[in-house]
Amino acid sequence: MKEEQYISVKTFCERHGVVESFVYSMYEYEILQLEYDKDQGKLLVEDLPLLEKMVRLHNELDINPEGIQAIYHLLDQVKSLQQEVASLKKKLDTLQ
Amino acid sequence: MDFIDYYKVLGVDKKASTEEIKKAYRKLARKYHPDLNPNDPEAEKNFKHVNEANEVLSDPSKRRKYDEYGKDWQHAEEFEKAKRSRSQKGQQQNTSGYTYSRSGGSAQDFSDFFESMFGGGSPGFGSAGQRVRFRGQDYNAELQLSLMDVYTTQKQTLTVNGKNIRLTIPAGIEDGQTIKIKGYGGSGIEGGPDGDLYITFSITNNTSFKRDGANLYKTVEIPLVKAVLGGETQVETLTGKVKLKIAAGTDNGTKVKLKGKGFPQYKKEGQFGDLYLTYTVKIPKNLTQEQKSLFESLEKTNLT
Repeated sequence: MKEEQYISVKTFCERHGVVESFVYSMYEYEILQLEYDKDQGKLLVEDLPLLEKMVRLHNELDINPEGIQAIYHLLDQVKSLQQEVASLKKKLDTLQ
Repeated sequence: MDFIDYYKVLGVDKKASTEEIKKAYRKLARKYHPDLNPNDPEAEKNFKHVNEANEVLSDPSKRRKYDEYGKDWQHAEEFEKAKRSRSQKGQQQNTSGYTYSRSGGSAQDFSDFFESMFGGGSPGFGSAGQRVRFRGQDYNAELQLSLMDVYTTQKQTLTVNGKNIRLTIPAGIEDGQTIKIKGYGGSGIEGGPDGDLYITFSITNNTSFKRDGANLYKTVEIPLVKAVLGGETQVETLTGKVKLKIAAGTDNGTKVKLKGKGFPQYKKEGQFGDLYLTYTVKIPKNLTQEQKSLFESLEKTNLT
């Protein structure tokens, strides 16, 4: 059962046409988690949507891993700001 | 169906070189890319237009046809024939197509204008057709419920893409809240996992209560005399009427908290928010002669 929750870095990179060092740099920048099995990196299936997003930014917009790390943190901030705005709008609505 | 000026979309001249088109496209793609503009439908729409413009203008044969028939597409009979054959080809391409939409099919990402001219396409950044989707596409759906629907935990069966999903909607779910249902998105390719289904709840509030999380707010009118002398009033809550004591000398705008009379707390069974009432003192109008005299008498007492 546990095996189904992981995908090897190698397989992911073959499917998505990215070099393995890209995935490892995402790990170094703490964007995703990696597990190791006999020196083979494995990705959590749950992290795939996030990693695929980073691959799109890398492949389609020519953004390097350092830029992706910055974008990752900024998007995180955008998300929390959007949530805050939504919650403040609701509060404002109740006060009106 | 409106004509779309793809040159205008990319902001380039009709004589623009392939390199200029590529440059303009890259610039706009960075600006509108959905991954960089979360929850921004306007950016997503612009991105699709930009993508579509690039799909046509970066391909010499499509660009030639667009330049030739673009504005007169409705009268180009030859084009219709070509469209039919391309349409079939396009459908085949779509099976391995790549899409930026998290909710729609690949062909749906193109305008009607594009579809009529070129049939289905292989959306994306030029090399899209070479990509193989590993994980199934995520689907987005919206479920509309009323506030009273979500006062209690609900069980519903939804049909999404032919699959029946038995859904338990916990009481107290918020308007705009999204839940993920794992594995109910598009099928994975070549053994990849299926995508997920995201259901966003749109909750309409037809009650007299305003909701903020688990707390409810309501304004209650009380007669002037009751505000001055005190008394009792009946107030409607979500679970029925309650009798409340009004203290003598209650000011306009006084707030009262009815503990536990609010909305259920999400995923906290048996726990409820509070109901906040704001009193507004109703000033009587159309007084009878007798009432007017009584107020005048009151005035003479120098009451402040």
